[in-house]
Amino acid sequence: MAAIRLSGLQKEVLSLYRSCLRECRKKPEATRTHFRSFARTEFENNISIDKRDFGAIEFLLRKGRRQLEMYASPGVKDIRK
Amino acid sequence: MASIARSSLLRQVASAPKVAVATKPASQNSIIANAARASAFHTTARRDLLPPLPQKVVGTVNDAAPVPTPSPSHGSYHWTFDRLVAASLIPITVVPFAAGSVHPVLDATLCATILIHSHTGFQNIIVDYVPTYRTPRARKAFIWGLNAATAVVGLALYQYETNDVGLTETIKRIWKA
Amino acid sequence: MAALRSTTSALLGAAAARPSLRIANAVPAAFRGMAQLADGAEKVTTSSGENANLKTFQIYRWNPDKPTEKPRMQAYTLDLNKTGPMVLDALIRIKNEIDPTLTFRRSCREGICGSCAMNINGTNTLACLCRIPAEDKAELKVYPLPHTYVVKDLVPDLTQFYKQYKSIKPYLQRDTPAPDGKEYRQSKADRKKLDGLYECILCACCSTSCPSYWWNSEEYLGPAILLQSYRWLADSRDEKKLQRQDALNNSMSLYRCHTILNCTRTCPKGLNPGLAIQSIKKEMAF
Repeated sequence: MAAIRLSGLQKEVLSLYRSCLRECRKKPEATRTHFRSFARTEFENNISIDKRDFGAIEFLLRKGRRQLEMYASPGVKDIRK
Repeated sequence: MASIARSSLLRQVASAPKVAVATKPASQNSIIANAARASAFHTTARRDLLPPLPQKVVGTVNDAAPVPTPSPSHGSYHWTFDRLVAASLIPITVVPFAAGSVHPVLDATLCATILIHSHTGFQNIIVDYVPTYRTPRARKAFIWGLNAATAVVGLALYQYETNDVGLTETIKRIWKA
Repeated sequence: MAALRSTTSALLGAAAARPSLRIANAVPAAFRGMAQLADGAEKVTTSSGENANLKTFQIYRWNPDKPTEKPRMQAYTLDLNKTGPMVLDALIRIKNEIDPTLTFRRSCREGICGSCAMNINGTNTLACLCRIPAEDKAELKVYPLPHTYVVKDLVPDLTQFYKQYKSIKPYLQRDTPAPDGKEYRQSKADRKKLDGLYECILCACCSTSCPSYWWNSEEYLGPAILLQSYRWLADSRDEKKLQRQDALNNSMSLYRCHTILNCTRTCPKGLNPGLAIQSIKKEMAF
């Protein structure tokens, strides 16, 4: 399979998603799936954005990082939509 | 970055060169149209040759911004040196005209001071517009380019002073020509 | 945050398909909570139709829930005879009576909190200290602070600004206790040095008007933070002056100031950050 060449921005999005999954693993086992599905839906909500719409993607990246920082704190034990 | 929509074309080119591999002409046009529309939202005139890349916030919201290690040679000493050179340029420029004589040592001092003055001036511009945290390689290239240019100009001035009439005399002749 | 966001999006969802409203237009039934106020305003405007002093406000709008939509300018027309004298009064009236989705920060409405900093007619200032130019019939343009990320409408993201403020340690640092064991005393002359420094409310008007800060906001501290830094450098009770100076002694933190003096021109409190920065530089020069 030929590797898809990703732009810098696309790599950043993927790295954010990976760090989300990494943070999920630190959560209590019972609620881990909640966190994972929350992260997934947050990304899927914006999956239709044009890859050249840099402004929107950069904004969502910033917002995502902010959210990740907040939900990653050990005090957050569970998440519901 | 007055807005999130500061999707200026140049910045896109600078930050994501690989994105527009298979751009359709139609969508390209729409991007240009969007950029033009967004430009109406800027409160400052839009003369950005290479607009700043997006701001990167290091650490969490509650961390303090990192404090760089002190380096007076780039900070206070550099600033003081800059001012001293700039201030000393004034008498050195005035003296040849006031005294009416062109001593080669004075001429050489003037050349050297102007050279150092313009070197630190350009250095300031590079530090401003090609910051290390954003474009480290370009910064290095620019600084070495500046050093090379200064060396070449220094050499040329030296040649001019030793083998030709010298700077002040040239200005004098052009003035009277 | 998730909870907050869902309420905002619900509110915005209700308001989504609404065209730009003016007082003269009919008030849609969607805003039942606001309908009474808006109705009242409408009646008053129409009854005093002739001597109404109308002014149009062009306000920057951007909704983070629809990030793909470009920001736009929305026009609101108000009767100045029914509005307070300041731009903030007009904004509050627009939010109360015309468009509750308009978002801006405000708190004290008397220039002491620094929340309502925004770019009004091309100048960074506090909306609560900026008079509406009543004689001038031209539209008043209101933007968020320039070169900041917009959170929503007129709300800028000042994360980096506050992080930088934290980095200068804005508190008294002392190792020796007070001689009388009570309080740190200061002579009147020493106290006088802090005048013109302690009044800064960190509204970020000056920092966001500084071209150097636009370029290097990651590393250059900007006029507001440097003014605060000087406030602690100039304090006779502080004992960590050398450490504070060391923290600034590099090419970026302080020396990206090129005395452009946009900061001094724009400061809504009439302070002089340019002078403060120059004082730091002079103290560190030799």
